[in-house]
Order: sequence, then C-alpha cells, then structure tokens
Amino acid sequence: MSQVASEDQVVDFVHAAREAMSPFEIVAGGTRRSVGRPLLDSNGGGLPMLDVSGLSGIVKYEPAELIITARPSTPLAEIKAVLAEKGQRLGFDPADWSRLLGSNGVATLAGAASSDASGSGKLRHGGARDSLLGFRAVNGLGEAFRGGAKVVKNVTGFDLPKIMCGAFGTLGVLTEMTFRVYPKPRFAVTLSLADVTAEEGFAILRKIALSALEPAGLAYLPGNMMTAVGQEIGQAAALIKLEGSRQPLEEKIALAHGLLGDRMRRSEDDPFPAIGCGEMFADIAGDVWRVMIPRADAPRVAKELNARYWLGDLAGAVLWLAAEPSQGPRIREIAAKSSGQAMLLRGSAESRGRLGLFAPQAPALAAVSRAVKAAFDPLALFNPGRL
Amino acid sequence: MLLPPTDAKIVARRAEIVAALKEIVPDGVVADPSGLATFDADALSAYHQMPLVCVLPSNRQQVSEILKYAASHGVPIVPRGAGTSLSGGALPREDGILIGMGRMKRILEIDYENGCVVVEPGVTNLNITKAVEANGFYYAPDPSSQIACTIGGNVAENSGGLHCLKYGLTTNNLLGVTMVLPGGEIITLGGKCGAQGGLDLLGIVTGSEGLLGVVVEVVVKILRKAPVTRTLLASFGSVPAAGACVAAIIADGVVPAAMEFMDRRCAEAVEGYNQPGYPAGAEAILIIDADGVEADVTHAVARITEIVAGLGGTTVEATDEKQRTRIWSGRKAAFAAMGRLAPDMICMDGTIPRHALPKVLEEMAKLADHYQLGFCNVFHAGDGNLHPLIIFDTMKGDEFERAEAFGADILRLCVKVGGVLSGEHGIGVEKRDLMTEQFSTADLEQQHRLKCAFDAQGLFNPGKVFPTLSACIEQGHIHVHGAQLPHPHLPRY
Repeated sequence: MSQVASEDQVVDFVHAAREAMSPFEIVAGGTRRSVGRPLLDSNGGGLPMLDVSGLSGIVKYEPAELIITARPSTPLAEIKAVLAEKGQRLGFDPADWSRLLGSNGVATLAGAASSDASGSGKLRHGGARDSLLGFRAVNGLGEAFRGGAKVVKNVTGFDLPKIMCGAFGTLGVLTEMTFRVYPKPRFAVTLSLADVTAEEGFAILRKIALSALEPAGLAYLPGNMMTAVGQEIGQAAALIKLEGSRQPLEEKIALAHGLLGDRMRRSEDDPFPAIGCGEMFADIAGDVWRVMIPRADAPRVAKELNARYWLGDLAGAVLWLAAEPSQGPRIREIAAKSSGQAMLLRGSAESRGRLGLFAPQAPALAAVSRAVKAAFDPLALFNPGRL
Repeated sequence: MLLPPTDAKIVARRAEIVAALKEIVPDGVVADPSGLATFDADALSAYHQMPLVCVLPSNRQQVSEILKYAASHGVPIVPRGAGTSLSGGALPREDGILIGMGRMKRILEIDYENGCVVVEPGVTNLNITKAVEANGFYYAPDPSSQIACTIGGNVAENSGGLHCLKYGLTTNNLLGVTMVLPGGEIITLGGKCGAQGGLDLLGIVTGSEGLLGVVVEVVVKILRKAPVTRTLLASFGSVPAAGACVAAIIADGVVPAAMEFMDRRCAEAVEGYNQPGYPAGAEAILIIDADGVEADVTHAVARITEIVAGLGGTTVEATDEKQRTRIWSGRKAAFAAMGRLAPDMICMDGTIPRHALPKVLEEMAKLADHYQLGFCNVFHAGDGNLHPLIIFDTMKGDEFERAEAFGADILRLCVKVGGVLSGEHGIGVEKRDLMTEQFSTADLEQQHRLKCAFDAQGLFNPGKVFPTLSACIEQGHIHVHGAQLPHPHLPRY
C-alpha cells in the first residue's frame, strides 16, 4: 500500500503506475471497498492500493458564500460538525454505508460523492452532483487538473464535477473538492400515517412530494421494517419528514394534516438517517439492492419484487430490498421494465463479480461511456472494472 | 474572432449536400439565400455567417440520418434551438449544416405523479410552465428569453435565470435526455427515474454548448408553485452596505427566491425609462423575492427587513401584485434602459464570490476611467452572477475596441478574484479565447479529450468553447446597436 498526502505525491504515484502499467485501487476510509465488481489483477489477486486518507482536512469554509472546500478524504463526520456550527449542512445528505457494508472504516467526503451516496434528504437539494461545484484531481496521464470552480453559478466549459460524482473513482484521484452548502433548518419532525398499504402509502407520499411543503424525507416502510427505526411495531407506515423554523414548520404540519387527515401522528424522532444509510438491512442476510424507478411505479414494482425485507424511500423513487443472490437477474429485469436501474449495493464477491454494480448498458451508451472513461484514464489504472 | 478555416471542398459540394438532406427531410431544407439569412446569427449579433444549408428535422430518425450523413461525408454540424444564445453558440459555419430543432416542439407527456414533463427539444421554456400552470405547477429555470428560447437550447447552455440560487440551473432540473450522437446513434441518459446506472453523462451533456450531439427528447422536473411570494425593495447609501446585506442575508440562513442588485447609474437609467418607483439618491438597490408557505415568507421578510435596517438601508414592500410587477419591471428593463443612454451597449456575464463585490465594483470604476467609457451594474446578487453593461458609440473613434477591451478586463477581474467567465450565457465564440484565463492547459486538454470521446471527428460546433492556439484574444459581449437588442421583444436580465 502506498500513501499519499499531497497532490504532487499523487502525480508521482500515477506516473509510476503508468510506467509499470499497474492498475490500482483508490482507498481512503475503506468503507465502500466492497461496492461494485471486486478489483482483481490478472491472477485473481487484489490490486495494489493507493491510500489517500492523508488527503484530509478542511481547506476553507466560507459560510456566507455557501461553500466549503475540503480535501477529499476528510471524514463526513468532521465536515458535518463544522457545518453544523454555522447552522449549515451538505445538500446531498451523504449516506454512510459502513454499518450496512460491515466496515469499521471512516466514511469520507469523496467516498460518499464518488459512490453517489445520498440519503433521504436528496429530495430537497438533489444528489452529490447537484452540490459539487469544483474539484482538483489527477487524471490517468498523471496530470493534475481542475473542473468547475468555487462559485455557486458557473457554466464555463464542460461541467466536470457532475461526472466525478458516482464515478466510483474510475476517472481520477480527487485531491480537493468544493461543495455548495445549505442552511440547516432549526427544527424537524416526522409525521407518520400507520397501517396503510403500499398503494395507499406511496400515494400519500407522492401527494406530499407534489405539494409546496418541501419535504426532507418521504419513505414507506412495511410493518416488519418499522422496529428498526424505533417506531410502532407491526404496522406499515408512510413517513414524512418536514423541517423549518418553528412557526413555518408548524404551518407546514398543519398543511400536511389537511392532506393526511386525523390519523397523522407526529414525532420528534428522526428515522431518516437510518433509512438513508440502509442501516435496517445491516443485520439482514442476502444481497442488498437499491432499485431506482419512477416513483409512481413503486407499489407495482414492490409487489413484483415480492421481497420479505424492503422499504421505499424518496416517495418510491428508490426501493431498498434484501434478496437471495440468485434473484439478481430477476430484480434487474423488473427494474428495466420501469426504465429503472437496480444497483447491487451489498453482495458477496461472487454476486458482485457476476452481476456488476449496474446492469450492462445499451451498446451505443456503453461505447460512449468507455470512450469517456478513456478520456480521463486511457490506461484504465483507476479502480478498473468497479463501475 | 478566428474560427477554424472554411473547408472549400465542402462548400464546393454544396448542391450534393443539399440534395442528400432533401432525401432525408424532403420538406425541411432551407438552401436559398433569403431563407438562410434568417439563420445567419444568434443573439450575439456582432457575428454573422450564412450557413452552408439549414435543415429542420421533424423527428429523431431524421436527426439520426442527418448526423450519419454528416459523419460519413465529414461535414460540420451546428445545432440551433431558437437562436437566443448570448454567446454565439449557434453561430453557423459557411461549410457546416445548421440543424434547427424548432419543428420538434411537441409536449409528449405530462406526468404529475412522477413530477415531470417529457418534451421535444423545440418546446419553449415558457411553454413547459404554461402546460402545467393550470394545475399549480411550473418549470423552475427561467432565463430572461424564456418566451422564445427552447428547452433543447437550455440543455445545451445549462441556462439559468433569476431563481437559480434557490431552484438551481437547468442541470439541477433535468431528469433525462435522449440524444443523437455524432455518427447517428441514439442514446438515452437518465429518464423519469433520474438514474443512469453508470457515468453521469447527462451532467456532461448539459451545458455542452452543442459540442457533443443533438438532444431530441428532454425529461424535466416540474415543481409546485409556492403558495406565497412577497417582494422587497431595499435601498442603500453605499454599495458596500448593499454587498454586506447580501452576505448577511445568506449567512442568516434565508434563501430568497431571487435577489437582484442594481447600482445607482442603472437604477436611475431605469427610473427614467419606465418609472418603477425606485428611490432617488440610493447608491445601490436590492430587489428581493421570498417565497414558500406563508409563515416561511413572513419569517424571511422580517429577517431581511431587520438585516437591511441594521446596515442603514431602508425597505419597501410591494403591497400587491401590481406593485410587485412594477418593481420587477424596472429590473427587467435594465438592458433596454441602458441601451438608450448610448448607441451601443455590451453586456458582460461573469460570476464572482459574493464577498468580492465591493472590490470588483471599485476596480470596474477604475477600468471605466481608464477606458473612458460609461457602464453600470446589474447583478444576480444571490449567486454572485454579474452583468456589467458597458455603453459606447461604435461611430466614435476606437470606442468599440475600448469597450471590448474593457469587457475582457472585467472578465479577467472576475477570474482573478476567484470567479468564472460565465455564470449563465455560456462561452460560445464570445468568451472562447478567454478560457485560458480561467483554465490551465491541462484543464482544457482534459475537457477537450472529453469532447473527442463523443465527437472524434470534431464535426460538432467547431470553433466554439475551446480556444484555438492561433487565435488572437477577443472579448465577450452582447453587442447592441442603435438601442436595438437582438430579439428586442425579449427581456434581458
């Protein structure tokens, strides 16, 4: 394992890897190493690792500009704490999958953005791609470059920050990242409507999604998943998180009451961090999937998936489920029927090797994606095959 | 402005190319000079060029056939929506096919349950909102040309508008596109579920200024209209106080739906133009919209009013819709009002960190002295997007050259203080040669390699966005002559 603590060192390392034609795995906190196809060399062994955890620390935080610049391996917890002191937060509600994936590593900023790991708060401010304004990285030619900028509005040149998010480290070694941040509302509540079918529950969630309430969480949990979030046992529920200053929040709750009726319950407990991180699947056996679909399809798709352990987040746009490894192709087929994507988030090395992170793309799209990858990393040095 | 040299061999084959395109789109080929003249420029009207031929496809198969033909015959392609680009993104080429997407203007599906609308690229921005507003919805990005500009053009330019700070640019409001690649293959990126299952190519295609392909279908998010919107007009005795107010509002956690800055010169010009009722003698004014549920807006208005007062400013609130419209009418007339002060005007577009505003304004005043030209400032203050307006008279000596040099210096200044060359107008041909001010050679080469991944033959919109090594430095602007804006019926802000 090689360690780097500066951009110059990354440049040197990539040059050496080019010389040796030696692909490598980029590792920071290590919590997401088991996501995607296992990285193997031609003999089936592991790849050399580049430990970038030394690229850590906040470079500059400017609350009045709504931006923070940090080195990529800064722990999420550190960023969140620093932002919270100024009443702000990251917009993409980064999800820490370490408990789900059985890792005791430290979830980092770049890890969350590179794996497009957003929680339920994605509803409000979008995903990592919508928050990453600029970055520095080293490409596969061993050149340090930057994309985007440190301002919130910019259309100068190609919008490279977008493609770095969700690329799983296959396009470059990040060395600095600038994110837009958002005011963190002072108060939040979770409203619930218990004992509803999936059909009813998702319909309620869509109604809230289509309202002006700006919800920060919209999930449907079957009864057997409710205990995991400390709610009433045994009854399926639609869960709605609202936030704001005190008076506006009370007004939103009253408006929600008008939409939900008298069965609505109110709680100060927040189940959404656990939902967004997939924590309730941590102790459930099997492969864990995130199936992304048009939200109105959720009841039908959930029924067809017919999983024992599942839930719907983002008003049904994401279904989480645990499944036997043999179910993979069936799950992919069901997702495809809704023009959706089934992501194998947790699986054995065998499952991941066989199924990949996502279904294979249509040939024309796959070809252009390969060309784009090669535009950044022509020798396929970075995390080869993971995405 | 140097563009890649015209390929005389292609021009010589014009008749053959026109005939081939007529085979593909029998009723949609414009080849006569008077017809082509309609397409010889976009809203960056200082630059004109007749296209080799213009083709107006009606469906994606025709687009695919056209691109296949262009690829196999090595003919450049320039995509065009409504031609409202302020940076010359749709400037034609003498040796290139101009592919106009205006005929593909069907709204294909309105899907409230999934909160989205599926449209063809030629649908205007405003028509998306019109299609859903009866049910209380709208499409958020609102570029000033929204009455005319098309969604395909918005995707190409990643268009913004007044409400970006709260609601984002085009890229944040798109769920998917279907596009035809150079070579004719059709791919779909994202869709109603938003997810792509691989590299985020949608993010790259959005704002790619017609360099990567032709978009033939777009899925956009729609939002519920906020129940309440209130408008404040704040005035200040000094520019730094107004700048500090913007920073204080943001730092306080209030995210206004819009927050617009005008300096004294601009406010006075506007007051003389359409009398929006701006206070006399203020050095700077802010127009601020707060939207949301009633209590949210009440809270925001109270906080903003306190912050303004704390900085020595005064606030007036619009008491009804008529007054709201009147306050905004001044802002929307800023370009036209300034345009009356001199025969010519150019509008710059750059973004700066908000905290740099006082310094940038001070430096701009020095530059104005140096170049001996008048200017004023309007500014999407919430997100730091500056639109300095420079006034001059082309007929007077070297004023045009001085105005261009002044404009370029302003953009250099934006970059110097940590900002960027363009916040919403794009690079096009206008700012192409300033790209090296913001990006290193390695940065630009990385972007260029990405371009080549889509368009290995380099046929798509050649000469745009990326500076050529041989190019002399040119500057960015909207050129307005005789107070005649390009598309004079469109508001510009």
